[in-house]
Amino acid sequence: MQNHNLAVTTEPAEAEALRAQLYRLLARLLARPADEALLAMLQGLSGDDSPLGRGIGDLADQARAMSLGAAREEYQELFIGVGRGELVPYGSYYLTGFLNEKPLARLRSDMVPLGIARSEDSRDPEDHAGALMEMMAGLIDGSFGQIQPLAVQKDFFRKHVGSWAGHFFADLETNRSARLYRPVGTIGRQFMAIEESGFDM
Amino acid sequence: MSEKSTGTKGSTKADRRAFLKFAGLGGVAGGAALVTGAPAEAAITEDDTTGAGYRETDHVRTFYKSARF
Repeated sequence: MQNHNLAVTTEPAEAEALRAQLYRLLARLLARPADEALLAMLQGLSGDDSPLGRGIGDLADQARAMSLGAAREEYQELFIGVGRGELVPYGSYYLTGFLNEKPLARLRSDMVPLGIARSEDSRDPEDHAGALMEMMAGLIDGSFGQIQPLAVQKDFFRKHVGSWAGHFFADLETNRSARLYRPVGTIGRQFMAIEESGFDM
Repeated sequence: MSEKSTGTKGSTKADRRAFLKFAGLGGVAGGAALVTGAPAEAAITEDDTTGAGYRETDHVRTFYKSARF
């Protein structure tokens, strides 16, 4: 499963690996439009009877019901648009009303000691919801050099994710342009609440 | 720090794992293919040659500056 160098070679416990998996799913869904491979993978997902699990099931159902073209159009409408999409999935925007604000500056400072860097191909601000999902995944499964202890993950989550991501996912869940991405909102909202509670245990 | 540290936190870790599984994480099947450990360096946003994508071009920056989102 993991094909990178780890300074600490202990694999995360199963429950932690599941968290990383869910963060990576959300990261992929939010970072860029769907492609054939993603839709095919989504169609194979299944969840249990929990609210989170039902969101997963809905996502699989929507993936089966939609064409790739429709899925890509929906992403475009929700997140890109002309000038801006229906939603503006950046921490700075949710926390201050503007892009490229102090929340982004704080995030950049905290990324450095964790070995997280923005790709050279990307000029998108790092406080994009999809990027943050990917950062959490990497802290959990050691993609940035080492698996980070729960205390570090919790600190990062509380400072950069928990304050706004739940609101973003709720907005996504209730946006009238969302069909495939509506259950993404459900899953994200549920997962953020689970994370918030889980760190206290 | 190892995830498997023992001591007074032992029962807390078990509670946490039980909570995560009960909350639904344990029921998600089929997404394992995504957990490849690809680092953020491998492009958070890839060039999407078949779609408009998001490009922070000069005109977009100017738009954001003037619109003050």
